[in-house]
Amino acid sequence: MALLRYSPDLDRVTNLLALQGDLERFLRNPGYGLGVSGSGGFPPVNIFDTGDGVAVIAEVPGIDPKSISVSGQGHTLTISGERRRETSTETAGYHRRERSFGAFSRSIQLPEQLDLDKAAASYDAGILTVKVSKAEAAKPRQIAVKSA
Amino acid sequence: MTEQEIATKEKQTVQGQEKTRAGRFFLPEVDIEELSDSLKLWADMPGVKQSDVEVTLNNGILTIVGTVSTEGYQKLAPLYTEYNVGNYFRQFELNEDIDAQRINASMKDGVLELTLPKSERARPRRIEVTAR
Repeated sequence: MALLRYSPDLDRVTNLLALQGDLERFLRNPGYGLGVSGSGGFPPVNIFDTGDGVAVIAEVPGIDPKSISVSGQGHTLTISGERRRETSTETAGYHRRERSFGAFSRSIQLPEQLDLDKAAASYDAGILTVKVSKAEAAKPRQIAVKSA
Repeated sequence: MTEQEIATKEKQTVQGQEKTRAGRFFLPEVDIEELSDSLKLWADMPGVKQSDVEVTLNNGILTIVGTVSTEGYQKLAPLYTEYNVGNYFRQFELNEDIDAQRINASMKDGVLELTLPKSERARPRRIEVTAR
């Protein structure tokens, strides 16, 4: 058996399998149908199933809750606002500057069975939680069986 | 500075650290400013309440630990995820001589703000030149 040195060209099968794996994971992800705009934008969001609806949770540290706007139009939920840097009077210099600031806006297309009229938003320790419950019409119901 | 788009950086896990507590640890993003009489530090730790943050200064090593409760997530089934949830940990070696007694730490909206006053002998001073 000849000894082959590793090169990316020789690794076609592994690359192909990895790609296929990624593709399947992507297609299996239920979030695929949620339509979240600007992936990688600020704030990062996680969406959870709460049983009677969804909870959209976003990390937005250092913002006055009054200056976060949460709005709904049709089936689109939009979170927007602006993150401002704390101001200090005199600055001799920076040792670290990793945090980012500026205006942000993210929109999330929610499934039809959710009712944005019944959304509630709360903010605690830099975490924004928007709970949207299912529309009454989308909830399971019991239909009485009458005897003829 | 108003129309700037903010990008989200993926959280970095803490590497090469012996842990005494269970759970995942992430590096909080920080800003450190140097003023003439103090250092100011801000650390983004969303999800950390005031009671769950620990700041220590020992042998010139500043340690910040923020604990996040994941209890609220137990009953939730993820549909779509962009970020991971866990504790925060970060250490800095301070070259400046800091007056540990007068360190002031406050937590608001998931941001830790630290004021680290320089001790008297580390402050810049003006030396008066007198006439002979």
